[in-house]
Amino acid sequence: MTSVYIPVQGTEEEVQVALDQLPHDASDILDILKAEQAPLHLWLIIAREYFKQGKIEQFRQILEEGSGPEIDEYYADVKYERIAILTALGAFHTFLGKVDRAPQKESHFKDATQYYNRASRIDETEPSTWIGRGQLCIAKGELQMASDSFKIVLDEDENNFPALLGQASVYFLMGEAEQQHKKSLEHYRNSLDLYKKALRVYCNCPAAVRLGIAFCRYKLGQVEKARQAFQRVLELDPQNVDALVALAIMDLQTNEAGGIRRGMEKMKKAFEIYPYYTLALNHLANHYFFTGQHFVVEQLTETALSSSNHGLLKSHAYYNLARSYHSKGDIETAGRYYMASVNEISKPQDFVLPYIGLGQIQLKFGDFKSSLGSFEKVLEVHPENCESLKAIGHIHAKSGETEKAIETFKKVTRIDPKDHQAFVELGELLVESDWAAAMEYLKTARNLLKKAGEAVPVELLNGIGLLHFEKGEFEMAEQSFKEALGDGLWVSIMDGKVGSSMINWSVQNKDQSFFHQLEGVPLELHSNKVTTLFNYARLLEELHDSVRASIFYRFIIFKYPDYIDAYLRLAAIAKQRNNVQLSIELIGDALKIDEKNPNALSMLGSLELQSDEAWLTAKEHFRNAKEATKGDTYSLLQLGNWNYFAANRPEKKAPKIEATHREKAMELYQTQVLKQHRSNMFAANGIGILYAEKAKWDVAKELFTQVHEAASGSIFVHMPDVWINLAHTYFAQGHFQQAVKLYQNCLRKFFHNTDATILLYLARTHYEAERWQDCRKTLLRAIHLAPSNYLLRFNVGVSMQKFSASTLQKTKQTVDEVRATVTELQNAIRVFSLLSVASTYHSHGFDERKIETHVEYCKHLLDAAKVHRDAAEQAEQQNKQKMEVARQIALAEEARRRAEEQRKFQLERRREEDELKQVKQQEEHFQRVKEQWKTSSNTPGKRKDRSKTEDEEVGNKKRRRKGIRRKDQKTKMQYGEEEDEYKDEPEADDDYADLARYNGADNSERAPDHLLAAAGLDDSDAEDDMGHPQSAIERKRRAWSESEDDEPVKKPAAQPSPGADGLSE
Amino acid sequence: MKLAGLKSVDGAHEESIWAAAWAPAADHRPTAVLLTGALDETVRAWLPDDLAALGSPTRGHALGVVSLAAHPAGSLAAAVSLDSFIRVFDVDTGASVATLEAPPSEIWGVQFHPKGNALAAAGGGSGSVKLWDTEKWKAITSLAVPRPEGARPDKTGSGKFVLSVAWSPDGRLLACGSMDGTIAVYDAVRMKFLHHLEGHHMPVRSMVFSPVDPHVLFTACDDCHVHIYDAREKGLVGAMSGHASWVLSIDASPDGLAVATGSSDRTVRLWDLNMRTSVQTMSNHSDQVWAVAFRPPGGAGVRAGRLASASDDKSVSLYDYS
Repeated sequence: MTSVYIPVQGTEEEVQVALDQLPHDASDILDILKAEQAPLHLWLIIAREYFKQGKIEQFRQILEEGSGPEIDEYYADVKYERIAILTALGAFHTFLGKVDRAPQKESHFKDATQYYNRASRIDETEPSTWIGRGQLCIAKGELQMASDSFKIVLDEDENNFPALLGQASVYFLMGEAEQQHKKSLEHYRNSLDLYKKALRVYCNCPAAVRLGIAFCRYKLGQVEKARQAFQRVLELDPQNVDALVALAIMDLQTNEAGGIRRGMEKMKKAFEIYPYYTLALNHLANHYFFTGQHFVVEQLTETALSSSNHGLLKSHAYYNLARSYHSKGDIETAGRYYMASVNEISKPQDFVLPYIGLGQIQLKFGDFKSSLGSFEKVLEVHPENCESLKAIGHIHAKSGETEKAIETFKKVTRIDPKDHQAFVELGELLVESDWAAAMEYLKTARNLLKKAGEAVPVELLNGIGLLHFEKGEFEMAEQSFKEALGDGLWVSIMDGKVGSSMINWSVQNKDQSFFHQLEGVPLELHSNKVTTLFNYARLLEELHDSVRASIFYRFIIFKYPDYIDAYLRLAAIAKQRNNVQLSIELIGDALKIDEKNPNALSMLGSLELQSDEAWLTAKEHFRNAKEATKGDTYSLLQLGNWNYFAANRPEKKAPKIEATHREKAMELYQTQVLKQHRSNMFAANGIGILYAEKAKWDVAKELFTQVHEAASGSIFVHMPDVWINLAHTYFAQGHFQQAVKLYQNCLRKFFHNTDATILLYLARTHYEAERWQDCRKTLLRAIHLAPSNYLLRFNVGVSMQKFSASTLQKTKQTVDEVRATVTELQNAIRVFSLLSVASTYHSHGFDERKIETHVEYCKHLLDAAKVHRDAAEQAEQQNKQKMEVARQIALAEEARRRAEEQRKFQLERRREEDELKQVKQQEEHFQRVKEQWKTSSNTPGKRKDRSKTEDEEVGNKKRRRKGIRRKDQKTKMQYGEEEDEYKDEPEADDDYADLARYNGADNSERAPDHLLAAAGLDDSDAEDDMGHPQSAIERKRRAWSESEDDEPVKKPAAQPSPGADGLSE
Repeated sequence: MKLAGLKSVDGAHEESIWAAAWAPAADHRPTAVLLTGALDETVRAWLPDDLAALGSPTRGHALGVVSLAAHPAGSLAAAVSLDSFIRVFDVDTGASVATLEAPPSEIWGVQFHPKGNALAAAGGGSGSVKLWDTEKWKAITSLAVPRPEGARPDKTGSGKFVLSVAWSPDGRLLACGSMDGTIAVYDAVRMKFLHHLEGHHMPVRSMVFSPVDPHVLFTACDDCHVHIYDAREKGLVGAMSGHASWVLSIDASPDGLAVATGSSDRTVRLWDLNMRTSVQTMSNHSDQVWAVAFRPPGGAGVRAGRLASASDDKSVSLYDYS
């Protein structure tokens, strides 16, 4: 046990003071020291001992006493010890200044400076003072001044060990502070040289000196040499925490399992040696974070925080804490600690990780702006950090800046072409705008994941499936959905193993118990697969396999009873199958879950519109739907349609109300819907109808034509109504050809040729175009499709009657034609009489008397036809005779013509002869005249001659004219015959007029303003019921299915997208 | 189980073909004969292997043929036209045997009793099935379709409009399908109504009993579905979907393993009854397929299965079924 001996003044005795038994109260010792005027070095020794024992107060007490003015006076000549005491105090305050916080910091440094100043006043060449000053400067961060201080010492004595160490550490710190890599290496090299020199000067120096060498080598990248140096330190001083931690860090940095384990062992050892070593604490905390021992992490980091004032280390500690809370899900606390961590560092270059955490948490709280700022800080340091870029892209996407988001994610894929997340995000961003690109990106993501051997997420496969689905690539879509869903009940259902009687029966009866009865079949449905299963069911519907689709929906409801869309799809399937009761019940179930669900309300409304009793309540539901959606297009359209529907109800009511309904409908279509969506085809169609009803054909046609063009351009829009409406318009304007074409196209395109109503429209067009056979055939087809529609039968009767009548009216009938007419009339009579008898127990809305009239008329026609037939047969006979006569006449004519020609020829010849004779005569005459001239000068014969030739010519002409006249007379005769036949017509027309009157004045009813509706041949009132609401309902149905179709598209948006969570370290 | 197209005759009729039936081989005729009826008011006969026309068209089926049925003995057949006459004729000569009617009832589907002693016809708006004996062609009875309990009376009065009929192969059950989708089942021996089969809510235009299981009834409906009922136990035992539009006609294969359907979606589908799923879709027709019919077994050297289909596109097609 070491002791000091304080000589007792004036004696040879000494007081022994055992250094480990120093009294607690330093005053006792001080009293002795003062009383015995002990040498100053003893004061120092005792003070140092107190310091070693951690008794700082006693240490200070002794040294402050030892540096007091009395001592200065008394020990005036003891320079060195006095300086030593002052520098000790200076160093002490320097230390305090280093450790303490800002306000005290300054005062400590001030105190330290004062002590050094006093030491300098005693002897300004004393090196230890300069060294102390140098340390103080280091502590204050004034590296250059520190260097100067040490230089003063070293100039004096280049082997001054402390100065060497001081200077070395200054260079090291300069290296740390230097921004430029090269310069900083230069500093480290200088530092290393000085440490080496120090070691040479003082071989037995404390191990810590080698630590300096080791750090320098580490910083210079000489990892192996650094490791050796640290190990040497540990050999000399197994308790050296710095060396342990340094080695541990190096081990950890190897990133191998063995290295990490060794590193952690060293860290733990260091922690055992000195539990307040911040760096070790941080590393330990880091380790325990990854092993998930959050409690340990918190303990360690709290210790680290309390035992360090170093900003960066504190930042690390805060970061560790934040991360721990973050991973536990306490993001508010985590956010606060991230913030604390960020506040400890001046620039992101120092420590960038907390910015990432902070950014993630801000993102989670929806503070996009701050989050963006945080991630941009990260990018300042690491401009190609994919995680931050993805986060930024995500923020852009969320704030609706799709372009920027796409750009960002594209950048990520350029930096890391294997980042599947970025591809997924890109795909989802492009879904709306660029189908092909979206598909490409999603597929790339899937392939990347597959190559990496990772499981492809359900959402991604769902997305790919949906894209295929939208494009109509059903097989590919099915493949994707199947892959996404993996194994489960659905596989058994698709195999046909499950899905037997029980299910079919139960599906129809809303009984879920069958799922419980299934044995040996997995009944799980993970929540992330529900959407995909729903989409798969939608696909099956599209493939017309509604049996399996229904089972899927049922299963979804079985597992997730609040999945409203599944109820609505089941309701839609039931509605398609005309099971209205079930459909209404299912919608009721959906409304129980959410009484304001606009889809359910709209659907209920349109169902009610179809039934006679409930159509008034439909309006309520449409209104509620409108309110629930805050007036979206669809619900407005439905309200408009309702008003239109109401205007056309067959009930007797004031025309005023009707007009009000129409106006209201117009207002809804035009001002409300079209204002929102200028290109809404359904609204335009509605307006077209309203114009058409006012007989404003041109406006209506213009509207319909435009909508028709737009609708035919898109494969997603199904709007048969506009085809029909446009056809109606053509019909109304008398363009029967176009109307027929449109009706036929519409039938084929949208209804698989199954719609009897459109066939009826078609038949009516044929009727108006007087194409009776087409009309009749079209009606027969309609009957075949709609057997119970007796109206069609009546119309067939009428068309046959018309056909017969018109055949009979024709100027010329072949016998076959008339025979066909007779058959047709017999058929017509049969049709009418069957109807007549049937009406005794069917109330199909015909007036029996009217049918009777038709029967009577047909019978009358039949009689006439028989007469006609006989007449025709006779006519045929006569015709034959006539032809014979004609032939003979022709022959006679021919003969006569020949004779004529002969005569003409002879005449000609005679004329020529005459002329010749004349010439001769003239010559003779001339001769005679010549002779006469010789004798007299009179010429009466000349005139005579001329008139002769004139006569000759006129005669020719007259003959020719006569020929023509004869021909004229012949034609006239034919005309005459025709005129006679025309004359027959009015009588026949009279018959038709009668018929028309019997038919309920259908001719007069055929005014244009009723044309749209009255597409039947007859009974325009009855047709009104059918025609108008039909198209209105159709439109609604279409509109509804339209909105339904949107649903799967909307789905991906509802998917949780990889964002904050996925971006953890 | 598959179909392979053998032959198609385009323009087999001048107008849409609405009905087809096989007249089985008879003593005097070694092979079955395919009969088709159309909107052109004619019935034609075709040889079974190459669809060569047999004789000239029989005319006079006024307003178009909607249904055809062959007598099991193979020599007679009945054709129903829209003029609501049933014309019974000799398959080989086309000569008229009898003309039946049940005014004011119109007639839709017809079927001969499997033993051939009776003819059943769907009586349309009369809401009944009409029966005739096949010896003297006298009306036997009229089976009315009772209204199901609780059903609301609708505008058309009786509410039932009967479209289709089917006899069970043992002749014990008679079923009739109607416009509103319900199917009435009768005890065909005692001529008594048994019960309704429910599940469809749209017109049932065609029905057939399984040849191997006399209780099982397959129905084709406008709701695009094929239902499988246990007609005796009153149970829906299965449903099959896949057609995009109305299912217009249905027939069961003689081996009882499959059914074929024709639809207005222009396709013929073959359904595997074990898997309860569509295994093949034939798209050779370009318009509604109104009739499908498997050739009945029997006849000289015809072991191979044959299916015929007839369509609005005026063509008749023949397929090999194996």
